[in-house]
Amino acid sequence: MRYYESLYIVNPNYEQSRLDEIIKTVSDKITEYGFKTINHFVWGKKRLAYSIQQHKYGTYVLLHFETEGSMNLDQFERFMVLQKTILRNQTVLLDDKPKKQSEKSTSLDEAINKDKSEQRLVSEQSSTKKVEETNEAVEADETPKDDRADETPEAEQLDDPVESDAEEKEEK
Amino acid sequence: MAFQSKRKYCYFKENSISVIDYKDVKLLKRFVTDQGKIMPRRVTGTSAKMHRKLVRAIKKARNIALMPYTNTSIES
Repeated sequence: MRYYESLYIVNPNYEQSRLDEIIKTVSDKITEYGFKTINHFVWGKKRLAYSIQQHKYGTYVLLHFETEGSMNLDQFERFMVLQKTILRNQTVLLDDKPKKQSEKSTSLDEAINKDKSEQRLVSEQSSTKKVEETNEAVEADETPKDDRADETPEAEQLDDPVESDAEEKEEK
Repeated sequence: MAFQSKRKYCYFKENSISVIDYKDVKLLKRFVTDQGKIMPRRVTGTSAKMHRKLVRAIKKARNIALMPYTNTSIES
């Protein structure tokens, strides 16, 4: 069994009903060619890295399907290319079976990303904490030095009266 | 005066990533210059095995317009 992932970009100006229509035609074609769909959902409207047919944005649709062999795959790709409503498509062979995702898959993806970012944040925070700790340690080291610095002049001051006393005694 | 450079390491081995998904643009952007060029292995420190996978993933992402081929004039 082979697993494929097809990602295609639909014209972003289409309303939901027309988008559903396109998705339906694709899924019909999939069943016609004898493929078995695993996932088929809208990934979201994204900004394209470069303009395709003078479109700056595109609606990405993700499709996972499985087949016995590579039969009809060329025909499927040909069909996708010929669709005027689909700006670009790319079919990729997967190593493992993709996980079945609900319609909230996009939000799941976001959640995963959030987790990752949170982990990064935590690591950054811990590093900053470490830095703070080191700073505190440095300060703690510095403070006694300051005390000593304070002590020395006092000691000198204390010494001075003794000397003066001694001088006075000598005079007497 | 000796200049101590920052230690280079393979990002993927450090984070135990074996499969690179071409849809994960956030990750792929780390290994690309501002212009959109793929950074060399000697700069990033990625292992040879993972660099090959990385390059393939970036090229797939470029094909489906998730990443730019070139970014000479950054559009506002």
